Amino acid sequence: MNKTLFKQTSKSNWIIGVIIFAVMMMYLSIIISMFDPENMEGIMAMLETMPQELMAAMGLTELGVTLTSFVVSYYYGFLVIMFPMIYSIIVANRLIAAHVERGSMAYLLATPNSRLEIVITQALFLILSITVLFLFVFLAGIIFSEILFPGHLEIGSFLLVNLITLLLFYAVSGISFFFSCLFNTTRKSLAFGAGVPVAFFVLDMLSNVRDQYSWIGNFSLFSLSDPLRIVEGDAVISISIVVPLLIALMTYTAGIIIFNRKDLPI
Amino acid sequence: MSIIQVENVTKTYKSGKGIFDISFSVDQGEVFGYLGPNGAGKTTTIRQLMGFTNVDQGRCLIRGMDTRLQAEEIQKFVGYIPGEIAFFNNMTGKQFLDFISQMRKQAKSRTAELVTRFELDVKPKISKMSKGMKQKVALTAAFMHDPEIYILDEPTSGLDPLMQKTFIELILEEKKRGKTILMSSHSFEEVERTSDRAGVIREGRLVALEDVNSLKAAQRKAFIVTVVSSGEVELLQNSNLEISRITGNQVEIIISSNYDEFIRVLTKCSVKGLDVLNQNLEQAFMKYYGREAEKNE
Repeated sequence: MNKTLFKQTSKSNWIIGVIIFAVMMMYLSIIISMFDPENMEGIMAMLETMPQELMAAMGLTELGVTLTSFVVSYYYGFLVIMFPMIYSIIVANRLIAAHVERGSMAYLLATPNSRLEIVITQALFLILSITVLFLFVFLAGIIFSEILFPGHLEIGSFLLVNLITLLLFYAVSGISFFFSCLFNTTRKSLAFGAGVPVAFFVLDMLSNVRDQYSWIGNFSLFSLSDPLRIVEGDAVISISIVVPLLIALMTYTAGIIIFNRKDLPI
Repeated sequence: MSIIQVENVTKTYKSGKGIFDISFSVDQGEVFGYLGPNGAGKTTTIRQLMGFTNVDQGRCLIRGMDTRLQAEEIQKFVGYIPGEIAFFNNMTGKQFLDFISQMRKQAKSRTAELVTRFELDVKPKISKMSKGMKQKVALTAAFMHDPEIYILDEPTSGLDPLMQKTFIELILEEKKRGKTILMSSHSFEEVERTSDRAGVIREGRLVALEDVNSLKAAQRKAFIVTVVSSGEVELLQNSNLEISRITGNQVEIIISSNYDEFIRVLTKCSVKGLDVLNQNLEQAFMKYYGREAEKNE
């Protein structure tokens, strides 16, 4: 890994991470403060006034009664997928394809650093920054919960949900990174790097709408983990761990190998 | 000793353009001019030398090392200017130069000297700089680590005439210090002033590989001679000089190496004006660019 490049990459991308984190914090604090251990019926009644298909698409048909399952079903079914996905798509595109399109990659490669070192540094930045994002979300979840409802959050299962979602995002960012390495223009890199994760996202939402559509979820990466089931302890966790890890490993490795070998129009 | 070797390199793009069976070498301490109009394949060749692309056939070596496989090692002693100006967004000139120095783990530096020499203001953001200023940043980045070998893709594009002169002086100094330089250009004058030898590329093929003096002999210059009377126009027409155009008393004459004869004929007329017509590379080297030069007229 190249420290100078890592520092430079952090400098030009941290603001995107901060914005994404700030938006996520806003929603997290709202959702936790909505929890009312005495009056879950009130929340249910409010939800019933919303269009049912929309609520279902966002995975809000079953709400947990404990704080942990409440937060997880409200927050991790939709918002914690959408915002880190936006981050992955934007940043992955900027890390490789944007440098190639603009030509600034020529300056990086005109220094005594191998292509491999440069592409691995960029990949590590994406992986580490997503890890940090989830670490902060996890810590913020604990802090908000402890302030508003001390002792209510089951930290063990909350950690598990965060870890499994993080693994999922190693796979999502890997897909965007792969296309960023494969294509020489940001137009194509974004078309596929955003298109594929967004397609998975839409399929996941569709599969939640009605039971007869639930088979659609088999085609979506995001259906691999069901946060609420994980909290309730009846999900097959091994699949939620192994499959995203394999996809992440394959996409990042393939991206790195392709970039190392391809012709660069710079 | 050959420092840069290009051996039978072919690289074809999907469009059918590319470079075909190019071979040349640059010796230690030599300045090599790589001449060609835009789109002829200069940058394609330079990309190979920088290890950005894979050859279809042949190979490129710098100091005996494969430019594609050992780029990391080669970049330790190469200074490079890309053909297109492209930097990092939102960096000031100073931040960019510092960043590149750090990426090179560069110990010695003559950045300050070059910045003064090019009258470069490094404080503004690069995105706010003019084209000429950006090119000066690129020049500084290529020269600041005092490399042994320079690979310069159209290094003077965007520079004003005064800076072009400063640049040429710098090249001549580096040459004196024994540096090996390959620079591409579409201006023969620039190559003439700096280079020992030159390769001329046309549509991806090397059409000439000669020392600059013999290229100069092949160069065609156009002069516009204004004479007093139509009788003198006739006199010029009846001479052996090649005349390309006559407008009133103005006669456009093409000279390649027959300057002597040109002067002798002119002494017989009363010349009112004598101008050199600016020509592009294709017109100056009709010998190599026959078809394209006609197209341009």
